[in-house]
Amino acid sequence: MVNRNLILTLLVLVLLLALALGGLGASTAASVLLSGITLGALYFLVASGVSLIFGLMDVLNFAHGSLFMLGAYAGWTIYTNPRLILNTAPLALIVIAGAAFGGIFAARFAVPRWARWLAALIAIAILVLAVRGLPVDKLVAMGATMTGKVIPTSQAEEPIGAMLVRVGIAFVAGLAASFAMSPRGRAETPSSTRRALATAVVIAAAALAILLLRDAGEQAILGMENNARFVLALGFGAATGALIGALMEWGLIRPLYARPIYQILLTLGLVFVFDQVIRLIYGPAGAFMDIPSLFAGSGNNCPSPDLFAWFSQHCDSILVLGRPFPSYRLFIIAIGVVMLVAVALILQRSRLGMIIRAGVQDSEMVEALGINVRRVFTLVFALGAGLAGLGGVVAAPFLGVYPEMAMEFLLQAFIVVVIGGLGSIPGAAVGALLVGLARAYGDNIVLAGIQLPGMTSAISGSPAIARASTVLIMAIVLLIKPTGIFGKKE
Amino acid sequence: MLKRNWLYIALLAALIVLPYALALVAGEPLDKGVPLFGQGLMVQVFIFAVFALSYDILMGHTGILSFGHALFFGTGAYTLGILVKYGHWSILAAVGAVIAIAALESLLIGVLSLRVHGVYFAMVTLAFATVGSILVEATDFRDWTGAEDGLHGIPVPDLLNPALHRTEFYFLSLAFAVIVFLLVKRFVDSPAGRVWAAIRENEARAISIGYNTLIFKVQATIIAGVLAALAGALYALWNLSATPLTMDVSTTINALLMTIIGGSGTLIGPMLGAGVLQLLGYFLNTWLGSVWQLVFGLIYVLLVLFLPFGIVGTWRARGGSWRAAWSEQLGKWRGVLKLAKRR
Repeated sequence: MVNRNLILTLLVLVLLLALALGGLGASTAASVLLSGITLGALYFLVASGVSLIFGLMDVLNFAHGSLFMLGAYAGWTIYTNPRLILNTAPLALIVIAGAAFGGIFAARFAVPRWARWLAALIAIAILVLAVRGLPVDKLVAMGATMTGKVIPTSQAEEPIGAMLVRVGIAFVAGLAASFAMSPRGRAETPSSTRRALATAVVIAAAALAILLLRDAGEQAILGMENNARFVLALGFGAATGALIGALMEWGLIRPLYARPIYQILLTLGLVFVFDQVIRLIYGPAGAFMDIPSLFAGSGNNCPSPDLFAWFSQHCDSILVLGRPFPSYRLFIIAIGVVMLVAVALILQRSRLGMIIRAGVQDSEMVEALGINVRRVFTLVFALGAGLAGLGGVVAAPFLGVYPEMAMEFLLQAFIVVVIGGLGSIPGAAVGALLVGLARAYGDNIVLAGIQLPGMTSAISGSPAIARASTVLIMAIVLLIKPTGIFGKKE
Repeated sequence: MLKRNWLYIALLAALIVLPYALALVAGEPLDKGVPLFGQGLMVQVFIFAVFALSYDILMGHTGILSFGHALFFGTGAYTLGILVKYGHWSILAAVGAVIAIAALESLLIGVLSLRVHGVYFAMVTLAFATVGSILVEATDFRDWTGAEDGLHGIPVPDLLNPALHRTEFYFLSLAFAVIVFLLVKRFVDSPAGRVWAAIRENEARAISIGYNTLIFKVQATIIAGVLAALAGALYALWNLSATPLTMDVSTTINALLMTIIGGSGTLIGPMLGAGVLQLLGYFLNTWLGSVWQLVFGLIYVLLVLFLPFGIVGTWRARGGSWRAAWSEQLGKWRGVLKLAKRR
């Protein structure tokens, strides 16, 4: 069955390729092809998470595009303006530390329902108090850390004393929050208390360390070699995505497994919330991220004649059939392929992957076999969200960062999973490749214009048309095979 | 009849008296100051009440979860705007065209997307709606849609100009809302409406009884689509413009929010939800400034988590114990989401 589908897909791909090759010269065709694979790699990073999460826990995460966007913003921020993160991360961390610390005591009380509500309200009120007046706009200020536009640290940052007061208040907010969400009917054991205490102490120490070393940290990060800073950004973006994803699953999705439709409603609401948060902090306009110097070289030898020459020259582009192609996009393709292999290896070769595959088949059975499926759910959510976050950072030097990228990539990811079939990683890969190629080819046609015989001038359009037209593919797939190429029968 | 529906009739009477009451209380004429502003606010409430009501047909009565409802709202607004401004059509003819185009559009999208169920449908409709919003913002059609600025300055006869004849417009939109409410009530209570309910409760059983559920679902989609487009057309008349916001996903979220605040599947609930949302939105906006949208989103998330059956849903459940009423509602919802899950 799968083989037939594979052949079918390959046929379609070959047809598309033939079309592309037929109309264009060989070098243009090659560059369109590579552009398509580049986009496909990015789409795969988003769509694989959507697919994996749906396959395992039947949650369609509408906020996955937002995680992509959040990852991009997080990576871009640590890359260009770490000051913002160094000044706000302690507050977020200390709330978690407070919640972990308070949880030790809260678990000893049978907190009544009304008290939970009260505690939640108090926690929110204290949190508002803690962040009130924080000079976020100065911290965010575009190019705050670029030469010539530097806002002196002392002006942008709160004095350390004020920050310590804020951290103290935020800790109390965390304590209050722990009473709002203390688990009911769970026996506390000495070891779990010790673990919670250790967690709280470690996180609190990290928060304080970041706060006290914020200036040194800023210097250190900005002083880092450009490429190393980019790797840091990649890691940070992926970690941010994974953390937010895990928190989402644990705090918001988990209470709603009994009401599946509300999970979707919730994730759609989160799209809106994340969008507003980003607009509130960074403003509606987007920003560009520099391409790391490894892919930005220029000089007499550039563009590099081939891939091997590039390894010594690090040019910003490589000649492909005589036409320069940006080398950074080849890096995106490499990341996409590496992640595809990594996900496939995790799924096929690790114990976790075994549990995931079993869970996709029948999660209740897996639970009955004594495996903590809930923890695996959180882990998979974090994994999918981390992939999206990583994708965001990888995309940032190529596309920039802007709030609308959330909806844009969500749309493409949905088209990808509809084509490939929800729950299937090979489906996500093939679908992403297909949509990416279609987008690249469509962009090329739209920009160059279509001139049919008998027309005086070519009709050309904006890229928006190409973006919209990928939905056509989805419509066709829906008509022919509603479950997607690799989807199982309903 | 009068006894059973006294609440509805009292509400209607209050809304009819409202402009005059406002004028009396504020001591200003109908077309100035507070009364003028209050009527304007209420006009938006009526328009969004119809929009939310049309959404409730899908979500509450047929159990179809659509995330692309803004597409029809925007279609109505843009169709009317383009035909009246550039086609120089009369308003009435343009409204006719809105109905026809929305019916066709929803038929097409319904037939295409209703081949899939549950989350797939939500996903596919969101994709279609996003295409709509991409297209109206595309620079290619700037001459017609005004791209990201929107289409402004729709010429309307003086009689329909909301700035000149505010009270008339108030009653026009009130009448529109009431007529649509009665119409939808008729639909829901009709034999077809019972089939919708059957589909919501258990589609497999409805099929095994012998109903072609696809036809009924397409029917519900068309009715909902046309009503949403009419609301959009009225919205365009009210603003004398059609903006990309009408097609935005946030407009769909608004409809969802109204339906959830009011209580889905209750007809009057979403309309009340529209009132709550619009008025609350106005006051939050003046109070908080641009943060209000974020606050709104958070309220939505909290509602989904903690008050899933809305004002009317919970009100109606007050007879028995809340817990029992909720679990009954939950059972209802379980049938809704026929996940495309492997058997």
